[in-house]
Amino acid sequence: MEDQLKGYRGKAKEFLKKHKINIWDIIALKTKKTKLEGILLPRYEHSAPNLIEIKLENNYNIGININEITEIAKIGKREAKYKIPEKTFPKNDLLPRVKLLGTGGTVASRLDYTTGAVIPSFTPGELFSSVPELAEICNLECELVFEILSENMKPEYWQKLADKVKQAANSGIEGVIIGHGTDTMSITSAALSFMLKDLSIPVVLVGSQRSSDRPSSDAALNLINAATVATSDIAEVVVTMLGSPSHDYGLIHRGTLVRKMHSSVRDTFRTINDIPLGMVRNRQIKMFKKDYRKKDKLETIALTKFEKKIAIIYSYPGVEDELIDFYIDNGYKGIVLAGTGLGHVSTNIYKSIERATQEGLTILMTTQTLHGFVGMDVYSTGRELQNLGVIPGKNLLPEVAYVKLGWVLGQTNDKKQIKELLLLNIAGEFIEREIPIAFNYNIDELLEKGKL
Amino acid sequence: MEHFDYESLGLKCGLEIHQQLDTEKKLFCRCPTVLQGTREPDFTIKRYMRPVLGEMGTFDKAMLTEYEKGMNIVYEGYNDVICTYELDDTPPFSCNEEARKIALQIALLVNANIIEEMHVCRKNYLDGSVPSGFQRTMILGTDGYITLESGKKIRIDILSLEEEAARRIKTENKTNYFRLDRLGIPLIEVTTKPDISHPDECKECAERIGLLFWSTKVKKVLGSIRQDVNVSIKSGTRIEIKGVQKLSWIPLLINNEISRQIKLIEIKNELAKRKISSDNITEDFTDLSETIKNLKSNFISQGLKSGKKLYGINFKGFKGVFGKELMKNYRFGTEVSSKVKILTGLKGIIHSDEDLENYGFSKEETEKFSKFLKSNPNDCFVLVLGIEKNVNKAIKVIIKRVKNAFEGVPPETRKALEDGTTEFLRELHGGARLYPDTDSKAIINKSSEIEEIKNILPRYPWEVIKEYSKKYNTEERMIKELIFDGNLALFEKLIKIYPENPTIIFTTLLETTTALRRDGKDIAIISDQDYMELFQELKYKNIGKEAIEEIMATKADFPDLSIKQIKEKLDIESISTEELEKIIRKILEKNIHIIKEREIRALGPLMGEIMKEVRGKIDGAIVSKELKNQLEKKLKELK
Ligand SMILES: [Zn+2]
Repeated sequence: MEDQLKGYRGKAKEFLKKHKINIWDIIALKTKKTKLEGILLPRYEHSAPNLIEIKLENNYNIGININEITEIAKIGKREAKYKIPEKTFPKNDLLPRVKLLGTGGTVASRLDYTTGAVIPSFTPGELFSSVPELAEICNLECELVFEILSENMKPEYWQKLADKVKQAANSGIEGVIIGHGTDTMSITSAALSFMLKDLSIPVVLVGSQRSSDRPSSDAALNLINAATVATSDIAEVVVTMLGSPSHDYGLIHRGTLVRKMHSSVRDTFRTINDIPLGMVRNRQIKMFKKDYRKKDKLETIALTKFEKKIAIIYSYPGVEDELIDFYIDNGYKGIVLAGTGLGHVSTNIYKSIERATQEGLTILMTTQTLHGFVGMDVYSTGRELQNLGVIPGKNLLPEVAYVKLGWVLGQTNDKKQIKELLLLNIAGEFIEREIPIAFNYNIDELLEKGKL
Repeated sequence: MEHFDYESLGLKCGLEIHQQLDTEKKLFCRCPTVLQGTREPDFTIKRYMRPVLGEMGTFDKAMLTEYEKGMNIVYEGYNDVICTYELDDTPPFSCNEEARKIALQIALLVNANIIEEMHVCRKNYLDGSVPSGFQRTMILGTDGYITLESGKKIRIDILSLEEEAARRIKTENKTNYFRLDRLGIPLIEVTTKPDISHPDECKECAERIGLLFWSTKVKKVLGSIRQDVNVSIKSGTRIEIKGVQKLSWIPLLINNEISRQIKLIEIKNELAKRKISSDNITEDFTDLSETIKNLKSNFISQGLKSGKKLYGINFKGFKGVFGKELMKNYRFGTEVSSKVKILTGLKGIIHSDEDLENYGFSKEETEKFSKFLKSNPNDCFVLVLGIEKNVNKAIKVIIKRVKNAFEGVPPETRKALEDGTTEFLRELHGGARLYPDTDSKAIINKSSEIEEIKNILPRYPWEVIKEYSKKYNTEERMIKELIFDGNLALFEKLIKIYPENPTIIFTTLLETTTALRRDGKDIAIISDQDYMELFQELKYKNIGKEAIEEIMATKADFPDLSIKQIKEKLDIESISTEELEKIIRKILEKNIHIIKEREIRALGPLMGEIMKEVRGKIDGAIVSKELKNQLEKKLKELK
């Protein structure tokens, strides 16, 4: 049962208890200056003490100091009046079957006007209510796999998702959409890219930067775009999110090259070290690149073994040996270094790096610049680090390198094989050549000039 | 203007007044609050709004209507005054302290009960004027009042602090264009209870609230204050009239709305007398596009040729209803027509209470229409012309409005027009569109802070008006005008510098500025400092009052010049009385024939001649006095 005085503490809690008032009660109160009526609301735990929070009849919320209150009485209780729309998702045999796997992101939701809370809607019927366009694209099936915030994502969840995708792909589903919080979406996309071998259908990760309870949300458009990509011939794990601040087109990013690059804007996702695979606008897909995996009839395999004892270390001036020693002493199997520039770290930590490789840890070097390759043959630092056993991670983004390292260590214990697998292009994570516009591309501009 | 017995009508009016605050930064981001006028935008972005599922799992009706209009939105912005917050691409920053303090001051001035802990709420906006789709607003005070001249107290319901919406620039090709510079400027909203019972009282109340705002740090430019009036009479409906731009419109708007409501109630009663009910209203319309070819009416036949449709519908027993005047130049037909215009984009309707020959129909054609629509002499038929989709929509709108006639006054929001009438603006929103903003935390108004602000409250402006008008011997109107021009503080500075003659200051700030503005001079460029220098020069008699207008005009044309430089440029050097005497003597000698001919009546022409030489260099009154002296002397000599 819900805490009857959720969030209240100290004097305010005592006060409410004394007057036998619970949250959601309608109360009438008098203060030294005025009379007010409203619904008692739950309170955030860390808000100011000695105040109670009510929703007035005009729907504004205010906080009142209990010391100001001269009279208070319960005069009713707010009736919960939630209703889930009873619509059924219309079936159309001419359209492909698409499965939406939910992980807890709110791709579609409705609003609780009293608390402002976003209540996720998830069944096909609910989704159809809020984004009816989906029915014109596919026959949607939904499955809530787990409900977490994306910052709480774990390798176990990737494994579960990979298995779900495998089942779907091998049972006639023609595309999978994964609703995902945006914070770690690109790490999940990388993990699935490595885990799913011979993937035969599109797997599209999608979310929203503005939640779907606001009229300006990007959720519906992202979902429509994702459904379009899920019914395409792109048999890869991709991220599809808006490509500009406008509600115009979505970009299709390869799962191993994509990264969230801004804390809040809608077009936060960017393909790094290359241009995106393509775009989707008005339910039409336009590919920018031809070298993508196409749909086939192969059986999709999920290789989900993953070594969890791995870490990322972000190098910084003054970094000390003890940082690496900690991981060695705690039984870690591998470390991704996010080095500076071409893949450098301070000579300060050479000793512990050497110790790490000698004790069997795999150390993979990436760059903090995100853009560009590590170049560990250019300067003596790089050459010395290689001599200490550090493997240059080419153009891998640090998080992608982290996922790849865990996955490789999950597949084999053999030193030689580990290195071979790490340097093998498994899911498009390595670029062969960096095209000059990869660093600074502006899709709007390229489209305008007809260069895509 | 028609006058009514407001008491027996049970007139009730309320006001909702919005005012922009004059803060340096916006309410929830740190962008400047400077409007960019017609400057070309640096960037545009395209957005769509989608209706949001409410608690019942359904869409808000008004939002759905807006969505179904299928409008695109384009936002235009500037890199130097817009940030990602306005684009709804970054969460809000902390609430602007300066804005909160000004708002608290206003709340205290209307004797409101200050809310100790404010919670930011979201108010859904349907039309795209806010990129997030909602306005952030918080209630700051409740239960205040404002006192009128008569001593009557008008209760203030709530006072809220909120964000200004974006500026609508244009609507083109189903796209609404908004400029984002205005979005997020702090706005205070004061809502009164419907305690106002007379149109003049409503005007006075609006004026007093306005004066009160303008005695604090608010934006004092055209458009920075906006008032909405709501009007109801017994057996009528509460109608909200938006966008009342001038206080002087208020009484006429209210009287017109009273008239409209009375007449709509009369229609309701008349229909009952004719024993017609809303169930009698047909939903059947006739497509006349094919039936009547080669019409005499040019615009109809041309319309039909271009593929438009002509639909007709007959309303039984409605003879005279469409023609009934509700307000000046506004019939029931106008009421239906303007609703069709707003909701479908069609130009309007034609009805048989009008003289159809004005549309170019022949008598025979009118009879043919009646025949096809089975319209009897007691009926009224309506015609609409347009593309099929719109005409279908229009017919629905017409039927709905006609059915509403049986209930009297349908609830809706109307827009104030310059001629004192109103037109349909939109349907009333249903239900709660206000909910907590989960992006911001509560804001506390400390009692110590409130006490501090209480100690430095400005005086009530109406008291200032009374006092100054007595002290400076001028009409109250003048002081009021100073306040509404945002020039009271400047006046107070100038009177300190130049207490000798308040009239000159009034004339300068009220009349000279108006005259120069009318001449197209950009006098906004003249700063308080400039005015102060100007009056300093006047005080030390370096210039005469006649030079003021010319100096101001020059300043407007050459904003980089200082007042001193302008004075030099215009060659204004004040002259001594001795010099003046010399000039007068010279002119008198030169014009001796005129003096002989006209004697004392030569004063006028001579004065003109002298002023040509000394204008702005010495006070005209001194010139006139000295001239008169010398002329009289001269005349004596001549005799
Ligand atoms: Zn800003």
